[in-house]
Amino acid sequence: MNSLNKKLVIAFFFIFMLGSFGFYVIDKAAKSRIDNIGFVGKVPSFSLTNIDGTIITEKNLNDKISIISFIFTQCEGACPIMSVNMATLQERFSSSKDIQFLSISTDPDFDTLDVLNQYSTNYSKNDNWFFLRGDILDVIKLSEQGFFLSAALLPAGHSTRFVLVDKELNIRKYYEGTVESNIFELQSDIVTLLNQG
Amino acid sequence: MTNKLFFRSALISTILSYLLIFVGGLVRVSGSGLGCPDWPKCFGRWIPPTSLEQIPAHIDPTAFNIVLAWIEYGNRMLGVIVGISILLMTAIAIIYFRNNNKIFYSSLLSLFLVIANGGLGAIVVSSILNPFIVSLHMILALFLVSTLSYLTIESYKLFNDAKFTNIHLSKKISLSLICLWIFIVVEILLGTGIRTNIELIAVDNPLLSKGELLDALNSYKYLHSILGFSLLFFSMYLCFLFKDDFFGLSKLLVFFIFGMIIFQIFLGELMIFFDLPQLVRLFHTWGSSWLVGIIIILYNTLHYEQSK
Repeated sequence: MNSLNKKLVIAFFFIFMLGSFGFYVIDKAAKSRIDNIGFVGKVPSFSLTNIDGTIITEKNLNDKISIISFIFTQCEGACPIMSVNMATLQERFSSSKDIQFLSISTDPDFDTLDVLNQYSTNYSKNDNWFFLRGDILDVIKLSEQGFFLSAALLPAGHSTRFVLVDKELNIRKYYEGTVESNIFELQSDIVTLLNQG
Repeated sequence: MTNKLFFRSALISTILSYLLIFVGGLVRVSGSGLGCPDWPKCFGRWIPPTSLEQIPAHIDPTAFNIVLAWIEYGNRMLGVIVGISILLMTAIAIIYFRNNNKIFYSSLLSLFLVIANGGLGAIVVSSILNPFIVSLHMILALFLVSTLSYLTIESYKLFNDAKFTNIHLSKKISLSLICLWIFIVVEILLGTGIRTNIELIAVDNPLLSKGELLDALNSYKYLHSILGFSLLFFSMYLCFLFKDDFFGLSKLLVFFIFGMIIFQIFLGELMIFFDLPQLVRLFHTWGSSWLVGIIIILYNTLHYEQSK
């Protein structure tokens, strides 16, 4: 073998190794996405009223991927950003019947069904987004003990995180509802969960 | 002695930069660009965290994925190594080649490009992977390897005079090569445009499959295929031009270009028929960066021969 052929063989071997490395890394990255959506706990039983008057319980979360947030209509800081982000997600996943959204009011005294209904028209374009209210003590309990999210000094002290719940009612992961990169992350995690079936 | 020293440092910088383009492509196709949400550190650490406990309290741990963090950080670390390598090369140029304008200014340019592209890497992260900025990051890297390829061949010529004599050269060949390089850059821009648009569509339509994304593109995607096939015929014509009068490096390079274009078309077709497999995308991008550098090397071999 002359020196050029030798160099070519080495070059091809090197590129083959690089390709194998690339394949390994791509595969590892894809698997890590699934592993990275952890298990935090189970959604507890709850009962809240939707803007159309229907009662929504944990059973409505069965067989759907749910994104849950805590908001109140008079909130001027984080909530509008959170709801805009949720509206964006609703729009982007509008062709899927497997996804739903829940926004739970932390100010049920002010947020009557009428007020929530009015609020919902600003954001929701579909009927897969529930705006819920219930007894304030139930909401605090649900937030703190159900979803492990702080609920001190309500209404303003609610958490700004989105909760991702899978079809088996497992709480999977939290995302800062006001941070764009977190929404990006949530979006790709939803796709990962959907592809898992 | 210093000629060889500079050639070696330029060659190493070039090879490392090509490796960096490969790793950068790997970051893009594996979707690891946000593996580290901050820059230049990763989750506030110079060595990426290996567990959740290591993430400082002020940084939100939601996005933490150890695999993606290390892929992204690998790209940054290799970037730093390339930067150091180019810095050393530029130091040699400043000390020994102040009177050689080509080498001196090209070295400074490559140093500028590598620093600028490192800075652009920070913007890539802070823009949450804006597809335009990610593509610009890749295009700057292409300029970098072009400059480094040029430096490598220029410094090689300093101590290999004998290999470059006795070759007839026409204006036709010189012009053809310039056109080929420009067309390839245009072809890369078109390809980058396709990917940018696919990513933009994918953000707003996360449920579309890769095949559906491809279908959702404007008809301008065909321009990339049409120009690709035109380049095949163009490089065939170049092989014909080089058929008789050339030997050694030039002829080897012109056949390499021809083979590479065939290979690129093959990869492109694979991508269309198999819904954009990530590894194929990676090699399709990487191969295009090879073409850009090889044409520059070929042209400067001939350009030198012409002026003799």
